[in-house]
Amino acid sequence: MSAAEKIISIHNASKFFGSLKALYNVSLDIHTGEKVVIIGPSGSGKSTLLRSINRLETIDQGTITVDGKNIDAPGSDINALRMEMGMVFQSFNLFPHKTVLENLTMAPIKLKKIPRGQAEEQAMALLKKVGIEEKSGVYPVQLSGGQKQRVAIARALAMSPKIMLFDEPTSALDPEMIGEVLDVMVTLAKEGMTMAVVTHEMGFAREVADRIVFMDQGEILEIGTPEHFFERPEHPRLKKFLSQIL
Amino acid sequence: MNSRATSPTFVRFLVAHYRDFLLYGLLLGAVAWFIASGEQGTGYHWKWYRMPRYLIQFTEDGWVLGPLLQGLIVTFKISGLSLILAMIFGLTTAIFRLSDSFTARLVAKGYVEFIRNTPLLTQIFFIYYVIGPVFGLDAFGSAVLALSLFEGAYASEIFRAGIVSIHKGQWEAAYSLGLSRQDTYRRVIIPQALRRILPPLAGVGVTLIKDSSLASTIAIYELTQRGNIVSSDTFMVFEVWFTVAAIYLAITFPLSLLVAEMGKRMRTAD
Ligand SMILES: Nc1ncnc2c1ncn2[C@@H]1O[C@H](COP(=O)(O)OP(=O)(O)O)[C@@H](O)[C@H]1O
Ligand SMILES: [Mg+2]
Repeated sequence: MSAAEKIISIHNASKFFGSLKALYNVSLDIHTGEKVVIIGPSGSGKSTLLRSINRLETIDQGTITVDGKNIDAPGSDINALRMEMGMVFQSFNLFPHKTVLENLTMAPIKLKKIPRGQAEEQAMALLKKVGIEEKSGVYPVQLSGGQKQRVAIARALAMSPKIMLFDEPTSALDPEMIGEVLDVMVTLAKEGMTMAVVTHEMGFAREVADRIVFMDQGEILEIGTPEHFFERPEHPRLKKFLSQIL
Repeated sequence: MNSRATSPTFVRFLVAHYRDFLLYGLLLGAVAWFIASGEQGTGYHWKWYRMPRYLIQFTEDGWVLGPLLQGLIVTFKISGLSLILAMIFGLTTAIFRLSDSFTARLVAKGYVEFIRNTPLLTQIFFIYYVIGPVFGLDAFGSAVLALSLFEGAYASEIFRAGIVSIHKGQWEAAYSLGLSRQDTYRRVIIPQALRRILPPLAGVGVTLIKDSSLASTIAIYELTQRGNIVSSDTFMVFEVWFTVAAIYLAITFPLSLLVAEMGKRMRTAD
């Protein structure tokens, strides 16, 4: 793929918490339309990597460019860059004081100056897409975990982002609700959304990923296609990791 | 709920608490005896019948508020204005204390520590006699400024506690959508924090009404000052101060109950 298609480019990124290397010399490009799944044991730096992309964490060394713009450059408008990247969290983080519909419309109305009526129309269409339109008027506390996460996905989509970042979107869910959230993500992938997904759902990785990234102790140890990962894993720590979770 | 549904519970309540009611009756009796014996001992003659005119009076112009109720209106004005300003000072200070700027944190901390470690009365005098003349503040303005700075410092601690109680995932969700820090405060953090801290904030209002009585020391004709004047004009010391205290109580006690009720509801809502 050509350089012009790179939407995210991470170059030699390192992040330290004290002496702990949360990220160490990580380089990764994500291309438009690509689906990258990041796997690895707990504490290996997956969340830190994802959160560095929209600067919820700031890296200590290296560079990250989004859409050709260095996110750490002085004068870079991080809020504008974040508008292009939707993020879905493990713990949903819906706004509890707003209805489902308001959760979706707040940012578009405020940041994109979309008229309320139009924003609500778009929001309803998104809620329909994630299969939860009948809940538009309720508050998040009245939703199940799976419903909350689907609303959270719709909320991120309401900003029409160019890329979606998912940080273990199903890890906080009861098993019977994982499927409904993964279904939404698969649909999104099929529509061509660019996605970076941290997950332990290997079925999802196998089905959706263009490339899988394996991280351990802050480093990327292996990158490859699903076939490569599941048929011919190379790094001993990846083999060990796969044997533990499969 | 209708009375038929409540009355059996009320009877049960009476039965369960009869000892409390007995004690309460005894206590009231003791207070009455104390006051009555005071009257005999000092030769004090109650003149309650003369009190109403100091509250409200009928003249040829119709009903006219007496000095005490006029004072109460001033008390409301001072407390109300101070409450609004105190909320502004409090919220601003809380946001300063949580900001990334060292200077903002230092200013906020200095303000709060200064206010909390000097007496309110001193602050009132300081503002009235030192700051007031410089900025052309009259007594009323000085009182409002002093009270709102004082309560603002306490309110800032309440705001701060409310803000830090909001889970950091809320910040991250707002930021990830592209909201600025200011928008995140305004649309996500403060609305949630406000719900949690409404009871203690309402408590600030109660304190303000009581503390506004200190404005009497800089010749403001609020309730306490009016009471002072009426009692020295008429020598009805007992009647006047009982009445003044009752007026304060009539306003602050329901407010306090409301605060307690809100607090209970917040806890069950969480
Ligand atoms: N705010 C923080 N302060 C200190 N250490 C942190 C912080 N965030 C993450 N870490 C540490 O950095 C490492 C990587 O964390 P994380 O990216 O959350 O891992 P993962 O998402 O793969 O489980 C872990 O050892 C974690 O304890
Ligand atoms: Mg993680």
